[in-house]
Amino acid sequence: MVELVRDTYRYRELIWALALKELRVRYKRSLLGFFWALLNPALLMIVLTLVFGTIMRFSIDHYAVFLLSVLLPWTFFSQALAYSVDSVVGNGALLKKVYVAKLVFPVAAIVSNIVNFLLSLIPLALLIVLLRFPLHWTWVYLPVPMLGLFLFTQGAAFFFATANVFYRDVSHIVQILLSAWFYFSPIIYSLDFIPEKYRWLFHLNPLLYVLNGFRLSIYYGKLPSLNSCALSLGCGIVALFIGFSIFRRYQNRFIYYI
Amino acid sequence: MKEAAVRIKFEDVVQRFRIIQERPDTLREAFAKFRRRTSYHDFQALKHVSFRVSEGEMVGIIGRNGSGKSTILKIIAGVYIPTSGGVAVNGSIAPLIELGAGFHHELTGRENILLNGLLLGLSKREILSRESQIIEFAELGDFIDVPVKQYSSGMYMRLAFAIATEVNPDILLIDEILAVGDGEFRRKCFERIEHFRTLGKTILFVSHDLTSIRQFCDRVLLLHGGELIEDGLPDFVISRYEALSAQRVDSLRTQAW
Repeated sequence: MVELVRDTYRYRELIWALALKELRVRYKRSLLGFFWALLNPALLMIVLTLVFGTIMRFSIDHYAVFLLSVLLPWTFFSQALAYSVDSVVGNGALLKKVYVAKLVFPVAAIVSNIVNFLLSLIPLALLIVLLRFPLHWTWVYLPVPMLGLFLFTQGAAFFFATANVFYRDVSHIVQILLSAWFYFSPIIYSLDFIPEKYRWLFHLNPLLYVLNGFRLSIYYGKLPSLNSCALSLGCGIVALFIGFSIFRRYQNRFIYYI
Repeated sequence: MKEAAVRIKFEDVVQRFRIIQERPDTLREAFAKFRRRTSYHDFQALKHVSFRVSEGEMVGIIGRNGSGKSTILKIIAGVYIPTSGGVAVNGSIAPLIELGAGFHHELTGRENILLNGLLLGLSKREILSRESQIIEFAELGDFIDVPVKQYSSGMYMRLAFAIATEVNPDILLIDEILAVGDGEFRRKCFERIEHFRTLGKTILFVSHDLTSIRQFCDRVLLLHGGELIEDGLPDFVISRYEALSAQRVDSLRTQAW
């Protein structure tokens, strides 16, 4: 872990340049360029608001905000993971020719998605204002679930990027895993809809506490319990520790498999 | 007289690659292979190679394809970790192992200078302060702001060479890449290499261009089938190499008869 922090700091300029590169390449050759990072979530939000605000009416007030408050962090998680799973294999040509600390690739993949995610909060705030939904003061709590989410995603990224070096199926499995995980998480629904006797199962989801934190502070304007707060950070730290340990253990063998 | 410091030390280095006939790259193959026996053999790319290179030396490495030349450079660069034996490298390294490794096609030359420089271990500030010299040396002119996917291989190589040498490493590793430059640029590259030597830098130079090797190197290593079979003055080692190649041609000829 010390190594992770030290190397991330040491290669911070490289990581940042790689992350910017990913973003630049993603939006290259499109007329609106970087603006898409804002426009994409904004358009999604408009669609969702129209669908759930006028066409399908749910018993949940302001369903669009209810949904978006956790859909955006989820989108970050799934995109970042789908992206980082190939981060080592995708840079294979480079790793075969120059010595580079291998951790820069999964870290850069996450950093570039973090930038995207933070940008997507801007249209969310705008939408909330436009819908005359209150912009709760509890937004100030957001850095806590965000940190938990980023740490957890980074840990998962290390794990899956490592696995993908040895078995390329992993990138496909991740896709399936993500869609199953999506329905297993209280994103389109609330945990209250789940019968009491099955609820423990949903509590096994390590992302639950983070998502809960987002929804509570954006939609309900409440703070989560101290317990939930600690769990959201705890899950992130544990995931990062496990993911990075595995990555570190196998990284010297990557070169023979890419 | 002060003894020149040793920059690179190889001691009894063995590099073995496990060549698996069909490596299970996917899980299905892994399960299928579980029952059958995986067929593989070990390939020794380097067999007990020992040598030293001192500060200020320019050492050529020659040998046929697959004799282990590039493997040596990659071990020095830290890409491979040898199977056994000791390797000590003392100083910063700039590898010019393959054209434009680390270049991203969608990015412009200028953006690639930054990315490549960072990959080589420079800080952003250091790179920006050298940017204009790099662009000037690479003779790219207005092309510097064009995505590198539109570059010719000569332009690629010029930019790569300019970056690697502006990084000002203690050790420069060059693998065959000078071959794509035109005569004029090659002359400029060798001028710069000469200048590097006067600064006491160490250069390892892999090439099939025996004329350049003879002209510039102080010493030449000859590899054959992963073994270091000769280490000495250029004229002597090159003649051994030529004799070896002639022998092989002869044996091929007799086979053909």
